[in-house]
Amino acid sequence: MSTTDAFAQAGKTAVLQNIHGTMAFLQKFPPFNQMDSAHLAYLVENCQLRFYGAGETILKPDDGPVEQFFIVKQGRVHGERPHSARRGTETTFEITTGECFPLAALIGERATRTEHLAGEDTFCLLLNKPAFIKLFALSNPLRDFALRGVSSLLDQVNQQVQMNAVETLGAQYSLDTRLGQLAMRTPVSCAPEMPLRDAVKLMHEQQVGSIVIVDPTQKPLGIFTLRDLRRVVADGSVLEQPIASLMTPAPFYLPPDASAFDAAMAMTERHIAHVCLVEHDKLCGVISERDLFSLQRVDLVHLARTIRHAGRVETLAALRSDVCQLVDNMLAHGASSTQITQLITLLNDHTVCRVIELTLEDMGDPGIPFTWLVFGSEGRSEQTLHTDQDNGILFEASDAAEAAAIRGRLLPLAHEINLRLAQCGFTLCKGNIMAGNPELCLSRQEWSKRFDSFVQATTPENLLASTIYFDLRAIWGAPRGCEQLRQGMLKHVAGNSLFQRMMAENALRQRPPVGLFRDFVVARKGAEKDTLDLKVQGLTPFVDGARLLALVHGIGACNTLERLRALIAQGVIEAQDGAAYEEAYHYIQQARMQQHQLQARNGQAYSNRVDPDNLNHLDRRILRESFRQAQRLQSSLAVRYQL
Amino acid sequence: MSTFTWLTGHKPALTEAQLERRQQLAEAAPLDNRTLQQRFVVLDLETSGLNMRRDVVLSIGAVVIENSAIDLSQQFECTMQREGHQASASTLIHGIAPSEIAMGAEPAEALLAFMEFVGDSPLLAFHAEFDQRMLARALKQSLGYRLQHAFFDVAEIAPLLCPKAGVGNAGLDAWTQHFGLQVQQRHHASADALVTAELALILFSKARQQELDSLPALQQQLNSRRRQRAHSM
Repeated sequence: MSTTDAFAQAGKTAVLQNIHGTMAFLQKFPPFNQMDSAHLAYLVENCQLRFYGAGETILKPDDGPVEQFFIVKQGRVHGERPHSARRGTETTFEITTGECFPLAALIGERATRTEHLAGEDTFCLLLNKPAFIKLFALSNPLRDFALRGVSSLLDQVNQQVQMNAVETLGAQYSLDTRLGQLAMRTPVSCAPEMPLRDAVKLMHEQQVGSIVIVDPTQKPLGIFTLRDLRRVVADGSVLEQPIASLMTPAPFYLPPDASAFDAAMAMTERHIAHVCLVEHDKLCGVISERDLFSLQRVDLVHLARTIRHAGRVETLAALRSDVCQLVDNMLAHGASSTQITQLITLLNDHTVCRVIELTLEDMGDPGIPFTWLVFGSEGRSEQTLHTDQDNGILFEASDAAEAAAIRGRLLPLAHEINLRLAQCGFTLCKGNIMAGNPELCLSRQEWSKRFDSFVQATTPENLLASTIYFDLRAIWGAPRGCEQLRQGMLKHVAGNSLFQRMMAENALRQRPPVGLFRDFVVARKGAEKDTLDLKVQGLTPFVDGARLLALVHGIGACNTLERLRALIAQGVIEAQDGAAYEEAYHYIQQARMQQHQLQARNGQAYSNRVDPDNLNHLDRRILRESFRQAQRLQSSLAVRYQL
Repeated sequence: MSTFTWLTGHKPALTEAQLERRQQLAEAAPLDNRTLQQRFVVLDLETSGLNMRRDVVLSIGAVVIENSAIDLSQQFECTMQREGHQASASTLIHGIAPSEIAMGAEPAEALLAFMEFVGDSPLLAFHAEFDQRMLARALKQSLGYRLQHAFFDVAEIAPLLCPKAGVGNAGLDAWTQHFGLQVQQRHHASADALVTAELALILFSKARQQELDSLPALQQQLNSRRRQRAHSM
């Protein structure tokens, strides 16, 4: 019987046991679970089932243009491509049960760039290209999936996150919305010569809170808001004078393509309530904080301002729950983990600054300029809601005696600040890495000596210390001393290859929890049985790897993603690799935050441990792929440092 | 009709068209110079019991291996009508209800269609001797046809190629478990045929590694293994 006859027959009796069984199997996985069952039946009826023994090549670049679409029915396939610039090969991805390949090559009608090998005994379903093309034309879910590849998986995850959150909040609003889309009305503007009285009249008629002063080409010269009007009236200024003399000159602006999140961050950072939208030097809109937050229950700008002006530490402490709710809202509105860590860092910085200022007011200003330093995750601007204190004080002193005297005066203040921060939800550091510790309230020279000793004497304690202290940032006081300290540190690290090697070893210590034969490697016993640690096992490899490469290449940035971007810019890592690391890091962080939010809502203690079996199929798959990227970063370090 | 004829020992009464089709059936191809790449039909039968003289074939499931791949577009699945069939202990195993048998295809038609599906290909089955005998008897009784196709026994090939598996002469379940295969519905003829075919694919891959790709060579190895075992017993 010819194949076409068989197909005709199979089509008529589409309930053949094996066709039915294979369809039921595929329906557990995207995109097959979204496909029309007639399309799926057609797919299965046109498949071949093939076996590949462990180590056998399935597809290789030399085979020429790809002629088949592969679905793993059972087993594991991995991709290997030649190491760029080095000998040997590296594993680039892993494909397991229910996943398919090679989409890009098949659609691009070219050969695969990566050799696909069976990682273990593997069965694949093979669909020939003509049948794939026919299905590609008929089935929207398959087409979408094929065209967007793995990034469509990430989209699906994001959609899921947002959907869950929107359900609890009932608001449709995204922080990724273009500002151009939010600024609905034409901006109210006037010439610089217009008398104040007329300008205010215009604002009143148009019922707006701000007016932008523009030149004849519509270029913004300044902005005048209702808040300014209060000041002007209080000052008793003459209402007849031209508005140019009373406006805030050179107003802050963003392009209309910037996101709502960008505007929110700008308003919070700069304490402004209006952002001009400017395109080609022409005013095209104004965004107010009300435009941004009309739909949110807790608004970012307001919260930041409340924190900045809080009169008592108790108020600050009470505001912590608002921060928590804000993060909830942000997750709901589709904010990414990067946006949220950025936001938490910003609000935490405001809180720290306010606590310092209040303490100075209460205890009296000793009149000695000092800089408040933060280390670790706070230093990297990667804080989550669950935060420990890691801080110190830097001051200028001409000699050891003066330094000791200043320390004596600053320590009580530092100690009090630590206690008050604890009151505001920043847990006291168990390792006593706090400014109230005499060893961490140092002059610039003392700090620099201390940092040198970390690099010179590579004991395990010093290595550990360097992973905390070398991620530093000034958040209150003059930043100059901190920068000088950093530059000195970078110079020392660059000149010490032994230290670099030790750091590389240290960066390989935490192995991502993916196994050769199982999906994930989880704890075998104890209370942590069957779980893995998202932070230590998932994020730490990225953080350590990025720190090592950044310090070695003289990159001053502390944030892991900024470090990765700088490393790409310097050509230390390939752009493609860097982007993959970034995506992976981002995803693990996102998973961790969602877990924290859930724990907070359920009144549980924060934990970074997850049981992969509790994740849905999609999340599990992406998490595994993310860990795989951490593994790749580590193996590139191992090659670089010959470990 | 067919039940009646085997009771009386008369030749089966076939229609003109059926006789014509029987005439057209392909003869089994000789196996010389053939390799494992050629077309095989992997077969599983569900029967009314295990008595090779008394029990009858109730359903046939078959899939095709060609060029070392299972071609899902070529499958055979058929339940046969058996007059006076009653539920027995076997019903619990294969799960084919008497009502389903009553709705089944007329045996001569079913067997003709199956042999057309087989063509000149050799057959593969697990514990093939049973399937071979049951099928041969059914063909004889319902069609007056003599089955001459070669049968290869997966239960025999498996320990030959995987002597270290430690599975020995155990059944299909032991081998599927050994290779981590999943059966969609055990004791459904088609699903059993598919898992037998998957097992065969693994074995073919091992045969290639052991340079036993040629069918006569494989057959020779199987024969000598059989002789050895007969000797040692």
